[in-house]
Amino acid sequence: MQHQQLQHILKHVPAGIATLLGPELRFSFANEAMQTLLGGKPLQDQKLADQVDILTPELVEVMQQVYQAGTQFVAKAYGLKHALSEAAEDEVPRYFDIALEPLKDEHDAVQGLLVFVLDVTQQALAQQRAHELARETRRLDARLRVLTETAPQIIFTVDAEGRFEYVSPQWYYFTGQPTTADLNLIWPLLIHPDDRLRVMYQSESARKAGVGWSYEYRLRRHDGQYRWMLSRALPELHVPDKPVFWHGAVTEVNDQRELSEALRRGEAELRFLADSIPQLIWTATSQGFIDYYNQHTLAYSGLSGEQLGPTGWISLLHPSEQNLGARRWVHSVATGEDYEGLFRMRRNDGEYRWHIIRARQLADSRGPRWFGSCTDVDDQHRLREVLQAQYDELARTNRDLDTFVYTASHDLKQPLHNLRGLFDELRRAATFQDEEASVMLEMLDDSLSQLDVTLQELAATVQEQRQLNVPAETIDLQSVTEEVLLGMRPQVQETNATIELNFAAAPKLLYGRANLRSVLHNLINNALKFASPLREPRICVSSALSETGKPLLRVEDNGLGMKPGDAGDGMFQVFDRQHPHIAGAGVGLYLLQRIVNSRGGHIEVDSTPGTGTRFTVYWFE
Amino acid sequence: MNHIIYMSRAVRPLSDQDLHELLEQCRRDNALHNVTGILFYSHGNIAQLIEGEPDIIGPLYEKIARDGRHSNVHKLADKPITERSFPGWSMAFHPLEPQGFHELTDFLLPEAVPESPSTLTIADALILDLVRQAVFNTERSASSAAPTLSSGGA
Ligand SMILES: Cc1cc2nc3c(=O)[nH]c(=O)nc-3n(C[C@H](O)[C@H](O)[C@H](O)COP(=O)(O)O)c2cc1C
Repeated sequence: MQHQQLQHILKHVPAGIATLLGPELRFSFANEAMQTLLGGKPLQDQKLADQVDILTPELVEVMQQVYQAGTQFVAKAYGLKHALSEAAEDEVPRYFDIALEPLKDEHDAVQGLLVFVLDVTQQALAQQRAHELARETRRLDARLRVLTETAPQIIFTVDAEGRFEYVSPQWYYFTGQPTTADLNLIWPLLIHPDDRLRVMYQSESARKAGVGWSYEYRLRRHDGQYRWMLSRALPELHVPDKPVFWHGAVTEVNDQRELSEALRRGEAELRFLADSIPQLIWTATSQGFIDYYNQHTLAYSGLSGEQLGPTGWISLLHPSEQNLGARRWVHSVATGEDYEGLFRMRRNDGEYRWHIIRARQLADSRGPRWFGSCTDVDDQHRLREVLQAQYDELARTNRDLDTFVYTASHDLKQPLHNLRGLFDELRRAATFQDEEASVMLEMLDDSLSQLDVTLQELAATVQEQRQLNVPAETIDLQSVTEEVLLGMRPQVQETNATIELNFAAAPKLLYGRANLRSVLHNLINNALKFASPLREPRICVSSALSETGKPLLRVEDNGLGMKPGDAGDGMFQVFDRQHPHIAGAGVGLYLLQRIVNSRGGHIEVDSTPGTGTRFTVYWFE
Repeated sequence: MNHIIYMSRAVRPLSDQDLHELLEQCRRDNALHNVTGILFYSHGNIAQLIEGEPDIIGPLYEKIARDGRHSNVHKLADKPITERSFPGWSMAFHPLEPQGFHELTDFLLPEAVPESPSTLTIADALILDLVRQAVFNTERSASSAAPTLSSGGA
C-alpha cells in the first residue's frame, strides 16, 4: 500500500525522475514527466545511449562518468536544445537542473543512477534577463552620466529630507566651490538672502507633499554675482510608496528674467504714463482687438473695460460714423496702414465731441501691436466752424463790395460822359471874359479826365479781382512782357523811354497769365507815369531767384522816386496818391498788391526821391 | 438668448476628414440643442460664433474650450442678444478636395460667407469681421502665427 502511494507520488511529481541500472544504464523506472521530456515513448529497459539526440552526447557521457566514478553531480540550468516537453515544434531551448545520484548496493558498489530533472527554464530566462538588464542599466547609467555632465544645467538628486544625493559637476563650475564642499551646508548659503527662506520653504513643502517643484531664485556665481536660476524637479514615483528621491535641474534664466522684467517695467511705466494722460489711449492686438484702454477712456466713456470689450470703441462713435469707422479699422488691420479719422465720440453725459482718432502699428518683442489715441479737438473744431462762418461772411461782403464798386463805376461812367459832353458844348458855345476862366476851364477839364481814369481803374480792379482764381500755367516771361509792352506802345513812344528786359536768371514763371500781365502792366505803367522830366526814362524789367530760391520780378526806373516815409503799406492803399499832380495812380498799386498777396506773395519797394524806384515782386513768399 | 465669439488655434492642422466629422457632429448636436452660428477655419486658425440659450451655450463653450483639438482658446464676446443672427449652423473653410463638400448644406466656402448680419451690434459685427479676416487672411496670419513645431533636435 505504502509502495503504491510512493509510486503514485513519483509519477505525478512535476520533475522528471528516473532510475538507470547496469553499466548500459537502462531505464528501470521513469515517471511521467521524464517520459514526456524524452519524447513520450515508453522508456522501460531502454538504453540511455538511445536517447542521445535529446539528452545530448555530452550529457550522456557525463552520466556514464558519474556511474563509473560513483560521485554525485548536479548540472545547473543545462540547456536541452530540442526540448520536447510541451510542443515538439517549440524551438526555444529549455533549461534544466539535472541531479545525478549514483545508486549503490549495501557494499557501496554502484548499481545505477538516480536522475532528477527539474525544468528551470523560467528561472534561467529570468536570470538571463536580469543579466541583460544589469548590462543595459550600466549602459544607460553611463549615458545618463555623460548627459548630465555635458548638459549646461546643474542636475541634481535629493532625498526626501532634502539631502543631496547627486549633483552634476556644473554646480562646482558655476559656484566655484571646491569638490570637497559640503553641498548640504553650502548650497543654501549661496542662495540670495532675500530668496533663501522662500526656496527652503517651497522645496520642503513640495517634498512633504510628494510633488515636484518649479521656482526661481538667485544663486551666487563664482564671481560673486547673483544670477537668477530656475529650479525644477520631479519625484521618482513607485506607487504606492512615497517618493524617496527628487531629480531635477537648475537652469540659469537670468537674461530672460531681466528681459521680461524690463518689459514688465517698461509696460508698467507706459501704462502709468498712459493712465495719467487726459487723452483716450488704447492698444490692440495685431488682429485688431483692443486689449487695453487707459483710465481716461474709461472715465470719458463711463464704461468699464469689460463693457467696452475688444471692439466697443466703435459704439462710442456717432451712429452715422460707425460704419465708416469700422470699415476703415478692418482695412487698417488688414494692410497695416495707419488709421486716422475725425469722429464724434460720445462722452459719459451723452454729448458727442469731435476727436481725431489715430492708430499706428508697431512691432515689439511680442509681435506687431496697434497703439492708438483719440484726441479731443472739439474746441478747435467748433472754433474752426465759427471762423469758417466768419470767413464766408467776409468773402460775401467783399464780393458785394466789388459788385458795388463795379456797378458804381459803370453807372457813374454815363453821367461823367454826359458831363464831359455838356462841358465841351459849354466851352464851344459860351465865351468867358474872365481872365481866370481859361485856367478854371483847364482845371475842370483835368478833373474830368482824372475822374475818368479813376473810374476805369476801379472797374479794372474789380475785373482783375474776379480773375484771381484762374489756374496757374508756366509762362515765358520774355514773351508775355513783350506782349504787354506792345499794348503800351503809345506811352512808351511818348515818353521816349528805354526799356530793358532781362529774364535769363529765371525765364519761366508758374502763375495766372492775366494776373502776371496785370502786374507787369501796372509796374511798367507806373514807371512811365512817374518818369522824371529831367532825364529820359530808363526802365529795367528782370527776373531772379530770391535767397530762398523762389522766383522774383524786379522793375527799376530812374524816375521821380518817393518820399522814404511812404515806402510802407500806405502806398498801396486805394486812392493813395504819391504824386497828386499825376493822373490816377492809387488804384493800380492797390490792385497789384491784392493780386500778389492773394497768390501768397508780396511786394517790396526801394525808392530814393529824385533818383528812382525799384519794385521787387516776391511771387511766392 | 446669448452669443459667444472666440478664436483659437488647432493643435495640428485639421484634415478634410477631421472637418467633415466635426461638421457632422456639430450639425447633429447643435440642431438638437437649438444652437446656431458659424465656424471659420483656415490653416489652423479657428473662430466661432455660437448663439443659443445661456444655459446651453455656456457649458457648450466650456466643453469646446477643453477640446483637445485646439488650444489658445480666447473668448472675444459673451453677452445677451435680442435675436439670433444666424438661421442655422454652418462652417466655412477651404477643403483640399472640395468635391465632397459642395453638396453639404451647412458648408460654405470662405468667399461665400455673407456680410456680418445687421442684427448684430456694430461692435459685434466688427468682431466678426476682424476674426474672419484673421482666420482667412492667411498670408498675414502666417507671419504672426504661433511658432511651428520644430522637428527633431534635442
Ligand atoms: C473648433 C471646435 C468647434 C466645435 N464646435 C462645436 C459645436 O458648435 N457644437 C458641438 O456640439 N460641439 C462642438 N465641438 C465639439 C465639442 O468640443 C465636443 O467634442 C463635442 O460636443 C462632443 O462632446 P461629447 O463627447 O461630450 O458629446 C467643437 C469642437 C471644436 C474643436
